[in-house]
Amino acid sequence: MYRIRFHGRGGQGMKTASRILGTAFFLEGLEVQDAPRYGAECRGAPIFAYVRASRSPINERGIIRCPDLVIIADDSLVTVPAAGVLAGVTDQTFMLVSTSEKAVTWSHRLNFAGSILTLPTPVEITDRMELRFVGATCAGAAARLCGIITSATLEQAVREELTGLPSSVIERNLEKALEGYTLMAEHEGCIKEKAMLSAEQYEVPEWINLPFEKASISAPVIHSSLTSELMPTGLWRTMRPVIDREHCKKCWWICSTSCPDGAIDIDADNNPQIDYEHCKGCLTCVTVCPSHAIQAIPEHKNPTSEETGS
Amino acid sequence: MNETLFRRIKDLPSTHLLGTGVPTCAGCGGLQALHQIYDVLGEKTVFVNAAGCMTLLSVYPFTPFRGSWLYTAMAAAPAGAQGIRDALDIQLKKGQITTDDDLQAIVLTGDGAAYGMGMSATSSAIERGLDFVYICYDNEGYGNTGQQYSEATPHAARTSTSKGPQGYPGYKKDLFSIWAAHKPSYVATVIGAEPLDLARKIEKAKEKQGPRLILALSPCPTGWDYDPKESADVGHLAVRTGIWPLKEYEDGKVVHTKVPRKRLPVEEYLKRQGRFSHLFEPMRNEEILTGIQERVDAYWAEIEG
Repeated sequence: MYRIRFHGRGGQGMKTASRILGTAFFLEGLEVQDAPRYGAECRGAPIFAYVRASRSPINERGIIRCPDLVIIADDSLVTVPAAGVLAGVTDQTFMLVSTSEKAVTWSHRLNFAGSILTLPTPVEITDRMELRFVGATCAGAAARLCGIITSATLEQAVREELTGLPSSVIERNLEKALEGYTLMAEHEGCIKEKAMLSAEQYEVPEWINLPFEKASISAPVIHSSLTSELMPTGLWRTMRPVIDREHCKKCWWICSTSCPDGAIDIDADNNPQIDYEHCKGCLTCVTVCPSHAIQAIPEHKNPTSEETGS
Repeated sequence: MNETLFRRIKDLPSTHLLGTGVPTCAGCGGLQALHQIYDVLGEKTVFVNAAGCMTLLSVYPFTPFRGSWLYTAMAAAPAGAQGIRDALDIQLKKGQITTDDDLQAIVLTGDGAAYGMGMSATSSAIERGLDFVYICYDNEGYGNTGQQYSEATPHAARTSTSKGPQGYPGYKKDLFSIWAAHKPSYVATVIGAEPLDLARKIEKAKEKQGPRLILALSPCPTGWDYDPKESADVGHLAVRTGIWPLKEYEDGKVVHTKVPRKRLPVEEYLKRQGRFSHLFEPMRNEEILTGIQERVDAYWAEIEG
């Protein structure tokens, strides 16, 4: 069985990538499971998708804990704990990273003994959300790495999965899928089919059994307010809005009122303060600020505290 | 309007009541409107939330609210509000709480519930004169499940269930008029991109009694297919092209609160959104574009006399 796990951000096409790959396996005559994991499937949030493919019936279910191939469509996710990119990875695992850096850099950075392959992205890309077709590239590359999917099958899978979209979009995805396929030519077939797990080998999920209790005890009641603030939605951000204090007119309401998340408050001196723990990076504030005092900078550039204005 | 607290934009709240950290999409126009609405309605509220995108607000054990939140089935939020109102009334009558402790029941639903499934329950609640506020965040489709069409979907928009070259064949239901025909205390349309207009209307709704219904157009980067940073622009264009009329109903009259002086062509709004891209590419669909413009023109011709 092949076990492949996709990691990306909402909007980068991970669900579609898993479906393209799944359909391609299916068209080659394999049994297939492909599914995204549901959660906060919002733009920018970490997204997971899974593909299992096998020549015999698949009895495994649920998420893939020990993947043969991990595909990382957005390298900024590697440092995000919630993305769980490295979960279940061993030195037998292949990692395919879409990145502007070298494979060896990632090997050192992650202290990873397995194989790392890269899908090069242009260095000048500031916001990775611009890579709209990265999912297709990843699906094409994965198809080649597994070694049993022909380019004709890949093409058919892309067309089937994207039926109904404008033909220009389909062609662009196809071009990107084949680009990924070609790039992995020298690694064709490096992902080998692994044995099925027997029921005994199946890892018990990390759940906690709770005894059945009376509704007054077990019903979900939340007694404190504003607990949502414990959720660090700032991790979704790929671009960071930064207020230029010299140009800010302290108008006192425009960015603060327009921020969908209410993540901008005004302090006692009428300065707007962005709550980076929770700012999702939608950049509405950048658009609405009449004096253009808010700039967007790539999140991975790690601005100094001076630049963030804090 | 003379007694409003919100005479100028500087009167808008500078700190916000709704908690951050909710997992709605970045750039959510519905959340933008909701956090502005909550600032005016205040903490003495109980939210009754029908299934929809805003289900994401209170994912156990997290809540962005300062008060209680009740989750109901899609069609049942006004019935939930009735239960809460009744319980509060009984407690008031028995002297278990004082009028200072009283809360407002606020229904929060998307357009799927408001325009479709929940309409019967809403109609009955208005008919019974239920003292509640209904807030509909209208993103013109079933956004939380992948933007299938709803009865609020505009003509020709692409949804995940209307993908052909013509888009959605139906026309957006006129919920404002349907609500107003029940003669409730108050009905208004709002949008987060016009926060002053919104604040005044919510303030008015807050002061009134009986059924008060607010319809908030909620630009949706995910479902409408545009970059999240354009939410405010798309919202402004909805108003400036005349597609989303800002108006209110009270005492039997409908008043337009913001009449665009010179309406922009509807194209300016449509072309910003991927869900209408098939009207422009690979070639312009003049018939549909003209049709949409004519319907908007006809609406305003009637208003402007």
